[in-house]
Amino acid sequence: MSTSQPIIETSGLVRRFGHTDAVNGLDLRVEPGRCYGFFGRNGAGKTTTIKCLLNLVRPTSGSVRLFGQDPARHEVAVKSRLAYVPDVVAFYPWMTVRDTLDYFASFRQRWNRDIERALVDQFRLDLRQKTSHLSKGQRTQLGLITAIAAEPDLLVLDEPTSGLDPIVRREFIRTVIGAYQDAAPGERTVFVSTHLISEFEGLIDEFTIIDHGRSVLTLDADTARERYQKVYARFAGEPPALELAGAKVVRHRGREVEVVVNGNSRDVLARLKTYSPESVSTEALSLEEIFVTTLEPEGAVA
Amino acid sequence: MRFQLNFKAGKPVYLQLVDQVKAAAASGSAADGEPLPSIRPLAEELRVNRNTVAKAYAELESQGVIETIAGKGCFIKAHPSPFRKDVRLKLLTEEIDQAVVQAHHLQVERSAFLKLAESRFDAFANKRTRAAETV
Repeated sequence: MSTSQPIIETSGLVRRFGHTDAVNGLDLRVEPGRCYGFFGRNGAGKTTTIKCLLNLVRPTSGSVRLFGQDPARHEVAVKSRLAYVPDVVAFYPWMTVRDTLDYFASFRQRWNRDIERALVDQFRLDLRQKTSHLSKGQRTQLGLITAIAAEPDLLVLDEPTSGLDPIVRREFIRTVIGAYQDAAPGERTVFVSTHLISEFEGLIDEFTIIDHGRSVLTLDADTARERYQKVYARFAGEPPALELAGAKVVRHRGREVEVVVNGNSRDVLARLKTYSPESVSTEALSLEEIFVTTLEPEGAVA
Repeated sequence: MRFQLNFKAGKPVYLQLVDQVKAAAASGSAADGEPLPSIRPLAEELRVNRNTVAKAYAELESQGVIETIAGKGCFIKAHPSPFRKDVRLKLLTEEIDQAVVQAHHLQVERSAFLKLAESRFDAFANKRTRAAETV
C-alpha cells in the first residue's frame, strides 16, 4: 500500500502570513481509499493547509502534490479529480437549487444525475427554492451534493459539520460513507479537517494532529486506540509519590490516580503494582481523548 | 443481527465485528444460512468506514464463518458442532483472561481464584435447585 502513489503528499510545507507561520513545515501522505482525519484546534493551520492543497494560496516553501501533480501547475487536471466542501458554503443567491446544481454540473466532466436525484430526495430539498432561502444545514447539504454528484477521486471536507444540528450532521456522515464511496469503495479518498472528532471516529482510518502549523502525531486509528490507554488505580490510603516516567498523570484525587500511557501500558502497570493498589483497570482512549491528551500542555494536571 | 461497537475497548473495530458475528454463529442466535447485512447499509448504520466492514467480512470468510455468494451477499456458513465448541471456548477464554488479570491486580492467588470459581458454580447450582423446588 505504501508503494502506491499517494493522493495527497506535502513535504516541508510552509505558508507564512506576515510574521506568522500558519503552516510551518508540514509533511502529509494520504494513500488512496483512505478516510484521513486532519485534526487541530482553531488556528492550528488546517484551513491554510487545505487552501494550499487546492491552490487557493501559494505555499511560501515546500511542496504539494495531489495525484502526484503540482496543483499550481496542473490546476485543471488536479481539480477535475477532487471536490471540496468548505465550512461555509456560498452560492449565488438568485439561483434556485436546480440552477445551482446545473451550474456546478457545467464545470464537471462527470456528473451523476442518479446520485444527485437520490440525495436531493434524501435531504428533502426543494429544487425551486432560491439558495438565499436555504438554512445553513441545507446549504451544506447542497454543497455535499455538488461535491458527490461529480464522483471525485478525492473529497476534501473542511470543518463540514460545525454549526449543524445533530440530525443533519449524522445524515452528512452517512452520505459520505454511503453515497460517496459506493461506486469505487477502495479508491475514493476522503480528507476531512475537523475538531468534532467523535462524530468521525468510526470513519477515520488514519489521522494527523496539527498544532502551530506542524504535524504533532500521525497514526492509524486502530493503532492509536491500542497504544493510548488510560489506567485507573485506587489505593488503600493516600497514594505514595508515584515514580511513573513515561506516563502522564491526568488526575490525582484522594486515593485515586489516573494516568495516560502511550504504548507502554505493560511497563507502567507493572510499576504501579509495586505500590500495591487496591484495584487497577485500563481503557483505551477515543480519538478525541488522544487529541486532547496530545495537545494539552505537559503537567496541566487537575 | 445487532452489533455494538466500543471505540474505547482498545480492540480494532473490525475485530469487534468479527468476534460478534462469531459469537452469534456459535451461540445459535444467528442461524446457519442467515444473511449478513450488506456492507453499505451496515457501515451507514454503525457510522464506520466501509473498509472496516469489508475487512471484517473478509476475515470471517477466511476463517470459514461466513460465505459469500456472488450477487447475493454474505451468509452464515453451516458448521459442524465441534467448530462451534472451539469458538465458544475461545469466547469464554477472553472473559476468563480478564478475570485472571483482575485477580492478578488484586493479588488473589491462583488457588484462591480457582476455589472461588468452584464456589460460584455451586452457588448457581444451588440457586437452580431452590428455584426448581419453589415451582
